[in-house]
This record gives sequence, structure tokens and C-alpha cells, in this order.
Amino acid sequence: MRELILMFDIAGRRVAIPAVEVQSVIELEDIYPVPRAPDYVTGLTAMRSQSLTVIDCRKALGQESKTEYGERSPVIELDGHLYALLVDSVDDVVETQSEITPVAGGFGKEWENAAQGMVETDRGPTLLIDIHKLIGGQAAIAA
Amino acid sequence: MDDLLAEFVAETREMLEAIEGELVAWEAEPSDRARLDNIFRFVHTVKGNCGFFDFPRLEKLSHAAEGVLAEVRAGRRHADSRLVSAVLAIIDRITQMTTAIEAGEELPVGSDEFLIAALEGDASDVGETLAMHSAREDAETKTTDAGPQAPRSIRLPVALLDRVMSGVSDMVLARNDLARRLRDAGNEPTLDGPFERLSGILSDVREAITKMRMQRIEHLYNAIPRLVRDLSTELDKQVMVDFEGGDVELDREMIEMIRDPVTHLIRNAIDHGIEKPSERLRAGKREIGMLAIAARQSGNRITIVISDDGAGLNTDKIGEKAVSSGLVSQKELDAMPPESVTDLIFEAGLSTAEEVSAISGRGVGMDVVRANIEKIGGTITVSSNPGEGTMFFLQIPLTLSIISALTVSVDGQRFAIPQSYVEEIAHGASASVEFSRVGDTDLVTFRDRRLPCLTLNNVLGVKPRGAGWDQRLVLLRLGSGDLFALAVDKIHDQEDLVIKPLAPAVMQSGLYAGTTLLDDGSPVLMLDIPTVASENGLVSDVRARPAQVTVSEKAVVEERGRTLMTFVGLDGKRRAIGMQLVARIDQVPHDAFAIDDGRAQVVVDGKIMTLVGVGNDTEQVEIPAGNVKLLRLSDSECELAYAVAELGESVIITQDLASPEGDTRLEGVALIDGELIPVVDGYRLFAKHGSIATPVEKLVCRLPEGDDWVDRMLQPLVAAAGYRVASDPDQTADVTIVLTDTADAVDTVDTVANGRVIKLYSDPNAPIGKDDSIYRYDRTALESALRKARIGDRS
Repeated sequence: MRELILMFDIAGRRVAIPAVEVQSVIELEDIYPVPRAPDYVTGLTAMRSQSLTVIDCRKALGQESKTEYGERSPVIELDGHLYALLVDSVDDVVETQSEITPVAGGFGKEWENAAQGMVETDRGPTLLIDIHKLIGGQAAIAA
Repeated sequence: MDDLLAEFVAETREMLEAIEGELVAWEAEPSDRARLDNIFRFVHTVKGNCGFFDFPRLEKLSHAAEGVLAEVRAGRRHADSRLVSAVLAIIDRITQMTTAIEAGEELPVGSDEFLIAALEGDASDVGETLAMHSAREDAETKTTDAGPQAPRSIRLPVALLDRVMSGVSDMVLARNDLARRLRDAGNEPTLDGPFERLSGILSDVREAITKMRMQRIEHLYNAIPRLVRDLSTELDKQVMVDFEGGDVELDREMIEMIRDPVTHLIRNAIDHGIEKPSERLRAGKREIGMLAIAARQSGNRITIVISDDGAGLNTDKIGEKAVSSGLVSQKELDAMPPESVTDLIFEAGLSTAEEVSAISGRGVGMDVVRANIEKIGGTITVSSNPGEGTMFFLQIPLTLSIISALTVSVDGQRFAIPQSYVEEIAHGASASVEFSRVGDTDLVTFRDRRLPCLTLNNVLGVKPRGAGWDQRLVLLRLGSGDLFALAVDKIHDQEDLVIKPLAPAVMQSGLYAGTTLLDDGSPVLMLDIPTVASENGLVSDVRARPAQVTVSEKAVVEERGRTLMTFVGLDGKRRAIGMQLVARIDQVPHDAFAIDDGRAQVVVDGKIMTLVGVGNDTEQVEIPAGNVKLLRLSDSECELAYAVAELGESVIITQDLASPEGDTRLEGVALIDGELIPVVDGYRLFAKHGSIATPVEKLVCRLPEGDDWVDRMLQPLVAAAGYRVASDPDQTADVTIVLTDTADAVDTVDTVANGRVIKLYSDPNAPIGKDDSIYRYDRTALESALRKARIGDRS
């Protein structure tokens, strides 16, 4: 099954999400902090007169945050809410060349929480992220 | 037409349209079971509905058809073509009657007996078949000519309305975004025009959509008589229920949200409030208990009062129960004034019913009622007099999705606070505010009330600090009645905000109730005030109540001042006006104003209101571009709009006003925070501008007939002066206007039937001076003559 995926980097690793889940890629302008929200929520921002919740993907994975992020940010919708993902950099949309497969031994403790599996692309194997687990999973842990 | 009836007609029509195709198909294939079922369902529904509305003929018809179709379904009868046409004839007759009901006409005459008889197995009379045809033809002609007499209605799923509503809300936000970008891009005259138009249309659409979601509160009332009847029979009581304000409209959703609480209050009133007839007689009351439910709209809120004339709340018993269940200690109870004791019924775990009856005590207590009301941003209070009855006051907002809120900021970041909690706002540097610190807790003394004070900084953990004079205070009242102050850096504006749900991750912080975008495109979070208060231990802690009560009692004694609302007029000067006159605050666009020749009006909510605050004949004030804030003043009979540049705080003044030094427009000058603020004389304002309350019985004025000038010029003027124009020559008139050119018989006008006579000359040089002889374009004289005529009549 060939599927389009959006490739981007989190914490220096190449990851991807299905392109159908991505609403758009925006340039983050002003981020308004949300006091006392979980630390992986960087704040709120506005896109086309809607508010988005900005998620720091490194923190959502339980890693150290980075001070500088790339300007571009994928926007996804989950359960009726829009999120902008803070990632290192956004790469490109490519076609998958394999089914989603598990990797023997897993992806590592932090990645395992958000991983859906591995796919082959023309740029090499890539970790496919499950957005529900990335955002929803942290919320569940924190709550 | 009655709402319910309209719904019945709409439903019947809808079904008729749906089965139209079925009917034809059934006629072709009488053995088709699925079609038969559909038609059966139709007549069955109609039968059920008309029993409710008392249409015996419709009921009989549908009952007969239902019976026959049931037999066919059961296989006892065969659906031959004759039976099919008989059923069709009945359905045609139903269509005909529905049309008549819709148009509000009498039901078509003629007997239905033969239609019913035609259903019988052995009926085969030719005459009957003919009659059936004629009925059908009648129906056809009827449907074509009974066009748009009554407004047609359709039924829509609420989910669809919600979708449209949220779409429109998004459009409003998108518009705001666009407005910001246009502003940033500088002046673009070619874009401004269409954009203004777009904005105008959008606000119209938004209002219409909001109306679409509105429903009369009657829908809530409708189920109550039955409930009352059943309950009172079960309990051997006699209860009469009285409704008021059934035409008050509120959001459908809201009606559903308050249905349970209201039902619960009514159950309680009948079960615990109203006594048995014998007891009532002993107490010297009428046997029949009265239960009254009244709804009233005031500004953006609806007040519902549920009152009964029963035994009232038994404070002794409530107190006893509260002590025994550990809610309060006996000592605390003794210190409580009676009102606080009655308020205890809203606490969890308190039910005064001696035994759990089938009616109340199903595990739903008053605490749940209160929680449900508060969930939708409402409040509930109770007042009760032993032996005389109990009253519950419910205050609820009009809609759920648009909330009027105050925006405040802390450390440069803005937050919204629902207006429903805001009691007052004050400046930290104001002389009436005094901060003190006890341990780490801030307290504020505001007009001799000592209140707990939170700083929004601490609540949010943003640059924590103690409250201080450089901050502003927002006084918040919780549903439980507890009052506390929230110190913020700045208070911005009051706005109507379209609140959207928050992502779960943000929601779990528990501080926020929703988010919205402001006009400048920045997201703003709405604070969840009850949670903030409870996290800081300020919520309705029953134990803390006695201490608070003593403070507030003191406050009542000393608070004998007047509340004034301060504002900055369009001329840039600060003024104040009595708060009791201010009904609500509105914002209207620049183009809603119409000012010329000393007449100033503004369109608000589709109503024309007299506008003040825009200067007088000699010095006009420019209406600023963009939205203008209006104070809507009301003397409870008529309304005025006062255009202001900025709203200030509400302040209570205890001193008398200083004399206004000759300015008759002012009531006096108040000393507010060391500044002398002129107080607008509301009494004079209404005396001058409040449109003369139209007499209940309008006076009748007879005008010359068949004159174009009269129709075009005179009639509107006479109507504006509060007269009704006589339509019938035999009608007795209070004033008669005659034109001297046409009135040969002026002297013969009978003053008994025609009242006072005003003569109008078309020649300006005609001998004027005699009473009531006026040049026809001398408007002032004419108006004064009309006014005189009316005053003369009333005195």
C-alpha cells in the first residue's frame, strides 16, 4: 500500500505522519503561553482565525526541549481540536514504499510511546508517528 | 398560530409530502406491504396528534383509516382498489383540513361520514365514489389557492442548526482576522466599502441564526400542567399552576439544560411546599395551592421565578438536619441568619423530606440542581417565608456559545472572565480600596467589606506577586453567593465572545473554560472562575460562612449609597449616571446612527431608539467611525440610548451630590476618587427625550378623505403625534382635521362625533390667529394643536 507521508525531524530523528492527517504546514508567528498547562503545551496560536494548541514534540516524547525550532510547523486535527506541532524542521511529503512494520526490539523507550511502526521510503526507513499517542498519550499520562 | 399547532401542521405536511409517492405506488400495487406500513404509520401519527389538539373530525377520519389499514396488515382484509381509493379519499380530506388549520380557517364543511362509510367492506354506492372524487378535487383547489397565508415552517435537526451556528461563529472570527489585516495594510477605500457591507450582513446573519436557535420558553411550560396534575393527584393535593412570560425566548439547548432543574423544583414545591387541602384550610389559606412560574428577560439573561404559596422552608428542620449530617456545627448554625440557613438546602447531603417519597428524594438533591444551573453559567437563589411560601430565582444566560465577558490582562497576556460572575470592578489605587496581608494571603477591604483577594499572577503562576495599588480589582460573585476579588494588571473591555472548547491537554489544567480569538486575532483563554475559586479554597465552604455573614451584615448597614456608572462621553468628558437606569450595554456600528436636524436616533436590535449623548442643537458631536458603545437606559417604560466613548467603573457614592451650578442637564456633581464627575440627570433625560408614552387608548383623528396631500404628508404626522386615523366615517373621532379648500361644511361639523376641529389653510396669508386654524405647512403649530387636543382630552 502506497501512502503519502509528511517527513519531519523531531529531536534529530527522521519521523513521519500520514499526509492525510496534516491540515497544513504553517509558519508559527506569535505563540501565546498558557499558564499552568502541561509543559509540552507551548501555548496557543492563531491560524486563519482559529486557535491552535502548540505542542512541543520533544517534550511530548519526554525529551529535553530545544531552544530553537524550525519556523514551519505541521497542523493536525485530533478529536475536533487543532494542534500545531513544534518540530526541528519539516522536510517533504514522500510516498511510502512498504507496509508499516514493527522493528524487532522496538524503537526505544521514549519513541515507543508514540510509534506506529517503520516504513520504507526512498530516503530510507522512517519512523511513523501515531499522532493520537503523541498528543493524547501524554495527556493521559499527565492526567 | 400556536407554536405547537404550527409544529403539528409542519409535521403532518412533511409526512404527507413523504407518503405522496407511496400513495400512488400503493394504488398500483395494493399488496405492497412496505408502502402499506408507511401509510399506516401516517394515519396513526395523525390520529395520535389530533387527540392532543382536539380536532375530533380529523381524529375520526384517521382513526377509521387506521382501523381498516390495521385489518389489512393483519391479513383480515384484502386491499382491493376500492379500499385503496377510500383510504386515499380520507388522506385527501386530511390534507384539506391541515391546509385549513394552517391558514387558520374554519375546517371545510361537509360530512366525513360517507368517507368513513366507504371504507366498509360492503359499501359500493356510486354516489359515495362521486363524493370521494369531489372531496379530492376540493383538496386540490384548496392547496393551490391557500398559498402563503400563514408562515410555513419546517423542522430541522438541531445538529444542523448547531453546525450552521458554529460556521457563522467561525465567519465572525475570520472577519475579525480580515479586519485586522485590512487595518495593518493601511487605508484601502476600495476594500473598505465591501468589507463594511460584509460585516453588516454577517452580523445580520448571526443574529438570525441565533434567533433560529431560540425557542419560546412555552416549550418548557407545556409539559408542566400534566406533571402538576399527576403529582397533585398522587399526593391528594390541589394545585393550580400559573405561567407568565411564555413568550420569552431562549436557546433551545438552554431550555433542555434547565428542564430537569425546573422539573425538580416543581416536584419539590408540590411535594414539600404546598400543604394538603385540610392543612391549608386550617392555616386560613385557600384549599387550592398556587404554583407560579414566571420568566422574564433582562438584558442578556433570563430570570425564572418559581414560587409557591405553601408552608415555606422550615429553617429549624434544615438546621437540625445540617447539624446532624455534619455540614455545620450547632454553634455555627446559631450564628447564622435565617437566609443563610435556607441556603443550606443547596448543600450536598441535605434532604429535609422526612421519608423518601416516590416524588422527590430520588438521589437528586438541590445540590445537583444548583450544580446544573451553574454549569450553564446561571445562578439559583431561594427566599422563603414560613407559612407563606417559597420562591426560587433562577438566572440563566440566553445562549451557551456566545458569552459576554470581561477581558483582563496580567503580564501582558489577556484572559477573559465571564461577565456573569463580575459584580464590580475597581481601581486598586481608589480610596475605597485597602489591601492587607495576613500571612501569605491577600485581603482587600472594599467599601467596608473585607474580601479574600487573589492575584491572577499567583493563580496562573505568572510572575507571582501580592495584590497592590497598581492593580485593578475585579469583584467576582460565585453562584454560592461568595464574593472575592481578583487582582489583575489591567482591565480592557467587555466583549461578546464566541467561546470554543479547548484541547484536552489545556483543559486538564482546570483553570480555563474555553478559548476565543479577539478582534486583533490573538487567542485568549477564558478563566473557569468556580474552579479557580475552589482551588484557592474560596468556594462555599459552609464552615466559613458565619464569619463572612457578619461582615456582610455590617456592609448592608453602611451601604446606603447610590451606585453610579462612570463613563467618558463622546465629547471626551467623564460623566456618571445612576446605575439603576442602565439596562444594558450595547455596541452598534457607525452606520446605525441617524442624526439630522436635532433629531438623533440609533437602530439597536432592529428597534429605533432615541439617541442622547451626542450633543445638542448648538454643539454636535462627531460619531466616531467603527463601533460605538451605547448605554441603554431604561426607566422601565421607555428606552434611550446614550452613546459613550468609553465605559468606566461602577462606583457607590455615599455622600450627597454637589449642586450642578446652574447646568440643568446635570443632577449634580459627584466626588469619585478625588475627581469631580458630573452626574447626568436621568430624570430630566427621560422627561425630555423619553418618547411620550403612547396613551393606552389611542385617540382617533379624522382626516379628509381622498386627498393625496393628506395621505402623503398629514397622515404620517398625525400618526407620529400618537393618533389613530379614523377609518370609518361613522367612527367617533377625538380630533378632526379639515382642509378649508375642501371643507365647505366646516361650520356644520358635529363636534360631538368629531371632537375638536383643526382647520388647515393652504394659503400662508390666510387670516391666522384664531385657535386651531393653521397654515398647512406650519408643522409646529399643527403638532402643538394635536398635543393640546390630547392633553385637553386627558385632563
